[in-house]
Amino acid sequence: MSPLSTLRRWFRAAPLAILVLSLSGCDLLEFSPNDSRVPEEFTNLTQKNLAKLEANPLAPGDTLRFVFTGDSQQFYDEAEALVKSVNQQPDISFLLVAGDISDFGLAREMRWVDEKLRRLNVPYLTVVGNHDLIGNGRETYQRIFGDLNYSFVYGDTKFIMVDTNGREYNFNGQVPNMGWLKPQLANFDGARRQVVVAHVPPNDVDFDPALSVPYAQALRDTENLVLKMNGHRHSSSVGQPYDDGVTYVNSDAFSERTYMVVTVWGDREFRIKQVQF
Amino acid sequence: MASLLLSALLLAAPASPAAPPADTITAVPAPLVVRKWYRPTHALLQTGGGLGMVTGGLGYAFVNNRIDADVLVGYVPKRFAGSALGVASIKLMYSPFRLRVAEQVQVLPFTIGGYYSYTHNTINSGASGQYPADYYWFSTDSRYGPFIGGRFTYLAPPIAATGTPRKLSFYYELGSNDLYIASYLTNRDGGLGIGQLLTLALGVKADF
Repeated sequence: MSPLSTLRRWFRAAPLAILVLSLSGCDLLEFSPNDSRVPEEFTNLTQKNLAKLEANPLAPGDTLRFVFTGDSQQFYDEAEALVKSVNQQPDISFLLVAGDISDFGLAREMRWVDEKLRRLNVPYLTVVGNHDLIGNGRETYQRIFGDLNYSFVYGDTKFIMVDTNGREYNFNGQVPNMGWLKPQLANFDGARRQVVVAHVPPNDVDFDPALSVPYAQALRDTENLVLKMNGHRHSSSVGQPYDDGVTYVNSDAFSERTYMVVTVWGDREFRIKQVQF
Repeated sequence: MASLLLSALLLAAPASPAAPPADTITAVPAPLVVRKWYRPTHALLQTGGGLGMVTGGLGYAFVNNRIDADVLVGYVPKRFAGSALGVASIKLMYSPFRLRVAEQVQVLPFTIGGYYSYTHNTINSGASGQYPADYYWFSTDSRYGPFIGGRFTYLAPPIAATGTPRKLSFYYELGSNDLYIASYLTNRDGGLGIGQLLTLALGVKADF
């Protein structure tokens, strides 16, 4: 075979080989750290976890118990320890992560966290945090987890998960989306009580200052609001910062090696237990 | 002095091509064309490695073709990253060994290098005044990282009229970036494996 025809064959084969490798979903062939392509098993995790939750329903009137934590960002060693500990907890229905799943808003990080948390015996659900919205994280989070604002009912409790990371949108007056939140708070979807979960609390400098007052007011006006739960601060607390009857709960980060076991019942009764791991 | 040295290296690079097999040269010795110092020695096309889905570049080889410096521009379509990204990058690499496995085939079994990239058109890269100073410690758009790789080169006959040597290489690079490595370094109890940090680039490089 002449060298020239060999050369031509190489030229023809190269793009084909690259195409085949790209299409075969070779994970390593990453176009950018912002590349949000992941295998199907790492997409729509919110929907998939809600389906698991639905498959294991809670009888009406039953007390609900769940684990509350936040800020898993870059704490993979701790994530393993957390999973081991949570898997020892009896009678819990799911685990909530109050945002900042990732540190850099990258698909690989969200996938790494899922690879840990999918080993839980219960499903887990997330709300978006400011770190998840860095770079192209906004699109990546939606591909891997799902909607930035969503709600679900489990047993007698409605959970409203809302994006409150106003600074990531340069305080554009749209986040939190009050037009979405208010009807959510007004409609119980058949539940008896409500829990609102977000990442940035309204009394934080990273919350849109134009919306903190109307946001807190909307929560104050909500009937049977058991808890308002946040992350972001890497410091656990339970209190009423506005002295308005609304209890705000803040989670530790995974790095603090504690989580909360939260029990809710009645119209708005709750008990919170801190667990070290 | 430094610029003199650099010019010397640049001039030396084209003068030391892989020698073509004697029987492929035409009977009349081709005139040696003196190249302009800025003329690139190779062009490349690659995918992956965090530098784009389709990435093209030009580069220079120095020190007997043992050091390559490449400048690349890459593209990632919107459907793969949430926004259409332009990625500009520079790569510097060193390939100390070469094996002539056949008359016209050379293998560079080991390449070590590093890159810097800048990504254009990310969705939220921080507007002026959006964040207080040092709010995030890392840059959204600037990445750098190491890689190792290898290269298989087909030594084509030189262009008869000018004696310009030609080579066509396939290369691969296994690399990572500053953020993946930072994630690994903060989890020393096995929370992440090295394999989870890796990216792969595949490309072709044509010397002319």
